[in-house]
Amino acid sequence: MLASILASGLAAGAIYALVGVTYNTMFSTSRVMSFTAGQLAMLGGVFGSMFTLKLGMPIVVGLLLTLIGCAIIGIITEFVAVRPVLKSLDQHLYVLSTLALALMIQQVAAIKWGTEPQPFPRLIGLGSGVFDEKFWLPVVACAITILGLEYLYRRTLVGRAFVAIAEDNFAARALGLPERNLRVASYALAGVVGGIAGFSGGELLLAFFANGALLNFYGFVPVALGGLGNNRGAVVGGLALGLFQQAANFLVGGIFSSVAVFALFIVVLLAAPQGLFGASTARRV
Amino acid sequence: MTAVTATPAHQEAGAIRAALPQLAPFLGILALAVMLPFISNDYWALIGTRAAIYWVLVSGLNLVVGFAGHLAIGYVALLTLGAYTTSVLVAGNVLPPVPVFAALPVAAIVGAMFGVIVGLPALRLRTFYFAMSTLGFATIVTQIALAWQSVTGGGIGISGPEFPAPFNTAWGFYFLCTAFAAFTTWMSANIARSRFGRALIAVRDAEVAAEATGISKPKMLIAIFLFAGALAAIAGGLFASLQTYITPDAFTFDLSVLFFIAILIGGRGSILGPMLGTIILTILPEIAAPLAAWSTFLYAVLLLVIVLVMPGGIAALLDFRNRRPLASNRAILPRPAALADIVRQRAGGSALALRDISLSFGNVRAIDRLDLDVAPGQIHGLIGPNGSGKTSTLNVISGYYAARAGTMTLGDAALPPGMPALRAARGIARTFQTPRVIGEASVLQNVMIGGTIEGRASFVEAMLSLPRNRQDERMLAAKARGLLGVVGLEPLADVRADRLQHSELRFIEIARALMLDPDFLLLDEPAAGLSSDEIERLAGLIKAISGRGTGVLLVEHHADLIFDICHQVTVLNLGRTLAAGTPAEIRVHKEVVSAYLGG
Amino acid sequence: MAISRRDVILGSAGALGAATFSFPKPAIAQTEPIKIGCLAAMTGPSSAPTIGFNRGVYFAADAINAAGGVKGRKLEIVMRDTQGDPTKAVNATQELISQAKVHGIWGPLNSGEALATTPIMARAKIPNIHPCVVETLIDTTKFPNAFRMAPSNSQWDDAVRNYCLNILKVKKIAVIGDTTGYGVTAVGASVAAFKKDGADVVYQANIDATQPDMTPDLLRAKNAGAEVIVVWSVTTGMEARMFNTRAAMNWDVAFVGHPSLSSGEIAGLVEKPANWEKVYAIGYKSVSYDGAGKLPAKTQDLVDRLAKAKVAMNDTLLWWIAGGIDAIELFAKGVETSGSTEGPGIVAYLNSLSKYPGYFGDYTFNPTQHNGYPTDEIVMSQASTARNGTFALAPGYT
Repeated sequence: MLASILASGLAAGAIYALVGVTYNTMFSTSRVMSFTAGQLAMLGGVFGSMFTLKLGMPIVVGLLLTLIGCAIIGIITEFVAVRPVLKSLDQHLYVLSTLALALMIQQVAAIKWGTEPQPFPRLIGLGSGVFDEKFWLPVVACAITILGLEYLYRRTLVGRAFVAIAEDNFAARALGLPERNLRVASYALAGVVGGIAGFSGGELLLAFFANGALLNFYGFVPVALGGLGNNRGAVVGGLALGLFQQAANFLVGGIFSSVAVFALFIVVLLAAPQGLFGASTARRV
Repeated sequence: MTAVTATPAHQEAGAIRAALPQLAPFLGILALAVMLPFISNDYWALIGTRAAIYWVLVSGLNLVVGFAGHLAIGYVALLTLGAYTTSVLVAGNVLPPVPVFAALPVAAIVGAMFGVIVGLPALRLRTFYFAMSTLGFATIVTQIALAWQSVTGGGIGISGPEFPAPFNTAWGFYFLCTAFAAFTTWMSANIARSRFGRALIAVRDAEVAAEATGISKPKMLIAIFLFAGALAAIAGGLFASLQTYITPDAFTFDLSVLFFIAILIGGRGSILGPMLGTIILTILPEIAAPLAAWSTFLYAVLLLVIVLVMPGGIAALLDFRNRRPLASNRAILPRPAALADIVRQRAGGSALALRDISLSFGNVRAIDRLDLDVAPGQIHGLIGPNGSGKTSTLNVISGYYAARAGTMTLGDAALPPGMPALRAARGIARTFQTPRVIGEASVLQNVMIGGTIEGRASFVEAMLSLPRNRQDERMLAAKARGLLGVVGLEPLADVRADRLQHSELRFIEIARALMLDPDFLLLDEPAAGLSSDEIERLAGLIKAISGRGTGVLLVEHHADLIFDICHQVTVLNLGRTLAAGTPAEIRVHKEVVSAYLGG
Repeated sequence: MAISRRDVILGSAGALGAATFSFPKPAIAQTEPIKIGCLAAMTGPSSAPTIGFNRGVYFAADAINAAGGVKGRKLEIVMRDTQGDPTKAVNATQELISQAKVHGIWGPLNSGEALATTPIMARAKIPNIHPCVVETLIDTTKFPNAFRMAPSNSQWDDAVRNYCLNILKVKKIAVIGDTTGYGVTAVGASVAAFKKDGADVVYQANIDATQPDMTPDLLRAKNAGAEVIVVWSVTTGMEARMFNTRAAMNWDVAFVGHPSLSSGEIAGLVEKPANWEKVYAIGYKSVSYDGAGKLPAKTQDLVDRLAKAKVAMNDTLLWWIAGGIDAIELFAKGVETSGSTEGPGIVAYLNSLSKYPGYFGDYTFNPTQHNGYPTDEIVMSQASTARNGTFALAPGYT
């Protein structure tokens, strides 16, 4: 029993963490929290199922096309819902524009893809029971993504430019960094991360349009717990959330587990609005 | 004092005449609503009732979203709560059955309480976080309705309450709901037009300035969350009756999105706009039936278009008055003499004293052991190079920063560190380096915000427009108009503040600060960006203010202005006092001359 | 239609304050079409049954119209998409009654919608035939106009219980549902009924349909000694996960329960076809084939006719199509027998039916009993044996 809670908890937690990283990646270059983060992960599953099962492509090609598709949706997010409202960031119009875009993505997915969960292919065919690939794939994907991002941010020029913009947008622009292009790139990157979340979690969550709203919330919780923009916090928060949720499923049953998760979320937010690992806010006056 | 106590009767009639163009659309909608039974059938009675019920909820939510600017996207939670509370009470599942007209007020009380609980995170959480937390509440309420089977009927649900005759027919119920809608419109309009409504917008658009005028954000928000929660719960009770039967799946997220988007389509800070938005969104899916599957998609497109193309919503489209061009050659012509009619003459009074104040940010010492005295009726200049701690000093006095060490006293009483919202009550008013005015409010409203704490009417009195609130409003409006005359902006009183020039905003801030009739006025670079003519008039104005006994602390870079009008000058450098004395002394102070005046 | 509606509007506008007068019916009514309103969740999460029903509805209407209609009057189907949303269903019902002025209403299927619309139809006294399983929808005093032509939930429950206790002969039962309104209620009712019959309910749970892993619940059911798992849910994704988990656990317990266990989508969701075996879903004798693969003669005849009319059957259930046909034919017969489209006539006709031979079953209604479907028609079928929307009987039936 404990093993199965651990397996499914870590798997779900890894997916939540990846969605959290998606939020953070978009936030880092634009200071925008986007409602499309969860939808990107949903599309990861839907695109994956569409390319590999419906269109019968090999898994690797399907993965590649899925990630490209999600990256394009990420770029569309930047162009449609983020760029036009950046100049008045303090009015928080991005909450509305990204919500609108997220609703549109979800609705089109529901109508074009269908409202029933649809199958996702078995990717490797390795493991069974609690060691089934559907449990460890998201965890591995999460680990690889995090390591990849760390490498990108620390060792590559583009990654360092991302970090520079995340730390001080104004100064970075003054240094002549192509802030706009970097922002577009970071949204594409966020799309890829979301796509990885959906694709690696496809066997667990299936290709289902309603996963978007679900992951939007459960992916946001790790961000709130770990502190905005803090990827390591998101991973810790995500895994903790996954384990907590599966344990609650086990202990108090389906109906009350979402109540438990939400109660935890609110309590932590009220106690530590900056998250458990977050930094304090800037000066107001 | 003549301007303040102008004859009320005359003003009342004038006010009604002035309000008529704003009132007309509401009366038109009401007239259409009354005519509906004669031109249509039960189906349109249902749709009309639905629009009225949704508006009962939206009229409250509008104050939260449109006025206070909190993005509560999960308000269907409170509709659910009200629907179940009313239905359960009427059905008698827990207590003996209650008549529906008794159940509705109970639901309203429950709704008000939960409105605060749902809204509480807004006091600490930022926009996106708050949106997410309301979304979470929406999910939870449905889950609880499902799980609590013995009371709510679980998935099988529960019958909605039935209203007694004559409200048990389609049209009877329609008129009942329309009456509710008209009543809530009136109440929410009363709040919106009162100092509470202005304070909400102030907290939304200029939170820092709102604090300086003594507006308490938690109190404001709790009041409107109570109000919006109660209305949402009443709407829920009516909704349950309209549906005849409620199950958890009737309370969809789409419904929540409808409420939310209706407000944004309508436009922030408007009542007519969201009302039209609600009506349009209720009817739209009916006349576009073939597009039923796409209705949420259409809402989303509408939302995106509104945000990107028309952020002002319907209200901005209908705002013809603010499309008239303003005179381009207008000048600010203060009439300092008129100050005598509005601001009381002080004799003596206590001094504001800072002793040994220190403040640091990390390792940087912004203020280092500063002593400063501002005497009543005196103008005290505070100068120094950038980063010398001038604005930091103002912020310590007005409570935005808590000094690490040192004491502040006002007369004999200590001024507690921090707590900016309590400064206004102590008679300290201020302006800001970058003017913090509410762009979407009129100039007059911006100034009236300064007097928020002077109002005596309670929130409930304002909601019901009782005499004390009307008195407050008359008093504040007359005083604000008078002060606009003093600072020379009277002709622009009804113009949206975001259409004004930078220099005019500076004078608005002074007028707003004077609304408090302050003992001490802190001015943060009031001359920045002003022409030399304007600076001259500003000097006259400041002198007149101190002439009424108000102590002025003036942070400024314009040395001429400082030396021209100040009684005392303190020169800061690196957070420390470099020199202090009369202008004549400072002018010849060696270090000051070499370090700062560059002479 | 637009003109006649405007006439009505002008008429009532002219009669301000006299709205209660009813005007005499125009004499030309006899050539007007018979309008049957349909409340159908054609899009949205629970649209699969409606899509099947609608094929039957249009098939029946076309057939009747092709044969000259009812006493020369054509049938007109007025379809309204409610998306499974009770709010939209209430609007659509009132629109059908007051604006489209239909003579009878078919549907809705979804319980939340049916619970909200039934009182509205009762207020308007409009004849209503529906297939919704919720017990309380049939109440001949409150809703004398509402008739159910499909089994009620307790009939389903009886059939499932009968199969578990008398055919499978097991005593230790686990009951699992999803967290939707239907799942929560059905599990509660099922558990109570099992206990009343002396069975041992060793495990009961409502699982969030999005829960990624079913192992904890199935493990607990297994540890509690369950010999059969009764499932009350419409969520195919969750059901498929349970089948896969059962296989992973090497457990050979049987699943018995809701018809959706046999839903075609599950074929793609189970990891291997074998996982879907030993799953018995509610089915009906009329649409089940026996060991020799033969359908009842009347049903075979219908299948042939549907095939000729090119009505797709492979992606839906035959009983949905048959039910849609029966409903429309009942309305048509009601108008034909009573000689008018007036509500009371149609209701009186329906109340007079005894073993009316429909395709889906034989319906019996009388003024105090509007549950028209016979319980003995309900059987268990093998979930994975779909063939043109029909199923093989579960083991144990002859």
